[in-house]
Amino acid sequence: MGYSRDILTIAKWEVKRSVGTMGKNVLPVALILIFLLVAVTGFTAKSGLHLQDGIYKIGTDDPELASLFSGDARFSVKLADMWTIQRNQDYYDLMVFNRVVYVHDTDRGKAAAKTMDRDYAKYRSHVYNQQSDLFAAYPLWIDVQFIKSELDFTATQSGQQVSVRPRSNQPPTPTGPVEPVAIPDASIGISSDELRSSLQQSTSQNSQISRYTDMFSGSGNPIGTYKTPDQLSPPLPFDSIILVFLFIFPLYFMSQFYMMSIMNERVGRRGELLLSTPARPSAIILGKALPYFVGMVGISALLTLWIKASPFIVLPLIPVILFFLAVALLIGMISRSFKELSFISIFFSTIATSYLFFPSIFANIHVVSLISPLTLIVLTLQGTAITATDYLYSTSLFWLSAVVLFYVGVVNFREERLFSQSDLFVKTSDFIASTLSFKRPYLSLFLFNAFLIPFVFMVQLMLLVLFFNLPMPLSLILLLIGAAFVEEIAKSMGIYSMIKKAPSFFTWPVIVGASFVTALGFLFGEKLLLFVTLSQITESVFGSILFTSIGVLWMPFLLHFSCVLIIAASIKKGGEIGYGIGLLAAVAVHCLYNMYLILGWFT
Amino acid sequence: MKVKNIGLIMKKDLKGLGHERTILLAILLQLFIALFSSFLMVGLTSMYDPSALSKYSTVHYHIAYNGTDSDLRDLLASDASLRVYDMELAPALQSLKERKLAAVVYVPETKPDAVDPVKITLYTIKNDLQAAVVDVKLKEQFVKYEGDLREIRAERIREKPVPLDIPKSTGGSDFYEFVYGLLIPLLVIMPAIISSALVIDLITEEYQNNTLETLLSAPISANEIFWGKVAAALVLVPLQAGIWLFLLMLNGITIVNAPQILVYATIVAMVLILVASVTALYYRERTAAQFVYSTAIVVLMLFSLALPENPMNIIAKLATGSAGTEQWLVLGLIIAVVMVLSVLTNRYAVKSMRGNQAPR
Repeated sequence: MGYSRDILTIAKWEVKRSVGTMGKNVLPVALILIFLLVAVTGFTAKSGLHLQDGIYKIGTDDPELASLFSGDARFSVKLADMWTIQRNQDYYDLMVFNRVVYVHDTDRGKAAAKTMDRDYAKYRSHVYNQQSDLFAAYPLWIDVQFIKSELDFTATQSGQQVSVRPRSNQPPTPTGPVEPVAIPDASIGISSDELRSSLQQSTSQNSQISRYTDMFSGSGNPIGTYKTPDQLSPPLPFDSIILVFLFIFPLYFMSQFYMMSIMNERVGRRGELLLSTPARPSAIILGKALPYFVGMVGISALLTLWIKASPFIVLPLIPVILFFLAVALLIGMISRSFKELSFISIFFSTIATSYLFFPSIFANIHVVSLISPLTLIVLTLQGTAITATDYLYSTSLFWLSAVVLFYVGVVNFREERLFSQSDLFVKTSDFIASTLSFKRPYLSLFLFNAFLIPFVFMVQLMLLVLFFNLPMPLSLILLLIGAAFVEEIAKSMGIYSMIKKAPSFFTWPVIVGASFVTALGFLFGEKLLLFVTLSQITESVFGSILFTSIGVLWMPFLLHFSCVLIIAASIKKGGEIGYGIGLLAAVAVHCLYNMYLILGWFT
Repeated sequence: MKVKNIGLIMKKDLKGLGHERTILLAILLQLFIALFSSFLMVGLTSMYDPSALSKYSTVHYHIAYNGTDSDLRDLLASDASLRVYDMELAPALQSLKERKLAAVVYVPETKPDAVDPVKITLYTIKNDLQAAVVDVKLKEQFVKYEGDLREIRAERIREKPVPLDIPKSTGGSDFYEFVYGLLIPLLVIMPAIISSALVIDLITEEYQNNTLETLLSAPISANEIFWGKVAAALVLVPLQAGIWLFLLMLNGITIVNAPQILVYATIVAMVLILVASVTALYYRERTAAQFVYSTAIVVLMLFSLALPENPMNIIAKLATGSAGTEQWLVLGLIIAVVMVLSVLTNRYAVKSMRGNQAPR
């Protein structure tokens, strides 16, 4: 009882303090700014973003075409007679005479031609969808039916092609039972007016994003499954992604407030007062976090109401909120000054944004996108149902790592840590060391490494997203080296900070023992988490490099053990420099192991 | 106001930054963003453009064709990367489920010159990378077929678009506009945003650590302290932006007017830094100042982007080499703004720092 009362009391203090400081001075200004923001957004929506205005130059003698292309602000169009234009033809990226386009042979000229091509296609479809006989202008409609494959996406990732039947002129025969299928109806069943309005909508949408690429068709597909050939590419969930931004933005701000609240306790040792109360550190931390957590969930819920979306979209946000708060806590505890706080938090938010956002761009294309909880939101907004498995799959890492980070914060919420002014690396090492107990060094190393797994997975999944787009051999090699680095650094962290703290404790037998439990803990955590969640990815070639899930248990164990041992021994021998050398050696061993056993190279 | 004293304050603050080595994080961040955006671009291209992935370009995709024979069947068969089989619908769909086929096309009896549209049915595998690739292949042929059908029904189309002959496959890349029209302006403006956040930290830190009194008791005047901090934040801008441009050039991206771009970045940074420093002087406390300032900057950036010939636009035009005389006009305008702002903030800084020093 006392514990939860402590939390509530501290939460009340926190609210009172922040309302006290923020209320009088900030609130009016904030209100004005928010009003301005709405006004400016309206203004911008009306006038458009003028970022790429006038980067291409067109010269033409055709007034009709001149007025057509001057509608696109990227072009600055010069209307003059042919002779005037040809006199300084190097100035123009594109010249149009007699309905033929001449392209200046530069990168800019080629890019301009591409842009013009897209504009022209847009203009053509604009003319076509005005036709009274729509089915003369759009004679072909495609009804796209998705079939769920019995093999999941890992089949393609592991290098298996769709239909690997070389040089056979016989059609394939299915092995499974053939179920009768209804022959599709030949009529489209939708009035041409409805189709017309959907066409007009899809050409007007997305003009900002389709600037960069014509790979995307209009977002969403208003008329059932019907598409014209031009609309066949998968839609980019652009609107949903913008909406998701709306959700994430306030979360950043609120976690900044929490970060500052923690930092302010450290400025001028103000927090001594709080530490001297009977409240436990965990109560202080949770109590301070509680108002922000409630605020973040509240804002998300309000936004959900406002856009009239399904209330379920708050669910994937909760682990993200907890993760943000946990990171904010640690950044607030580690930074030495405001400058450092700014830099670290900008750094963190960029990385977190990329982890959260970029996968969700591929929401309609690939299952890998599910590593980000935001994909769940995008899918829910689009009306795709998400399952409990999806939820577990994309949020489990966030839940786990938030808990672990809070734990690290709680253990270190002490005077000597909070008010010390040591270097970022030293401090991080100290923070790690205090989670490890010298009374039970083996047990704590085991647990430490087991709990490190969610972070290792997060970083490795990030690598997967980064690399899997590259051409095949390159992506595998980069992933191989990157994954080995991440794993070796992670495994060495615990043992490194312990050796730093008490070098004499680590005799040779202790080093071997410590390496043994480190490898054991790492393997245990890896297997456990894989078992619970990540089976979707782990079965692929990429997965086996990342998570060494192949084969019997003793082989990966031996690998982990020997790599840790290499690093630990080099730290003991050579200190800081030894660590670097040992790390490189371990990474090399790790890579060779993967190449030999998993990819089957050198054989 | 002595330049030497300003330099002293600037050096003190820069030393603090260097000591913490946090500036390294900023540079790391730049590298990360550069990496990520290029990866993203490569990713998008390869996902949708099969020829970009050499691995997939030599592959034959097996598709089943069912229903009425049509010109579409010939078109599909003429595509070297597709292999077309005539199959019954039911076994074809089962084969698709088993991944023995990449797609199944059904074409109804509708005549090419019928009143109604030709509605074909395309079965593909959901959420699959290769299915996306196959879709792109099929799309090419579908578009051709659509053109043929349009030709057949041409008499019924009343208003035809103005014909225009644009040379195909000139090899212009999507990359160009992305790099010059988005990446470069954003990357060059980012140091300005970082530096203006930094100046808030530099100023509020003196208030919150109660070190301002000590500084003021030294033979340094209030405005010297203020301008020293502004200078410390400002010098980092061309440095960071320069690193950016250098990295991009290493990547083989030609940037025509690098010096002018750096001038623009610096002068825009000056505006932002002055606005930020006024916020910091007013609140004397980091949380409030950063919150108000970051909201303000969103408003400011959005507003400026909505204006024609805004600084980001000029930077894009400078980088592509298509900026005209307007660049000097805009530059002059921003410099004038900086002058006015400088005079005003200078006055405010002296008044504010000499007054009561408790955070608001």
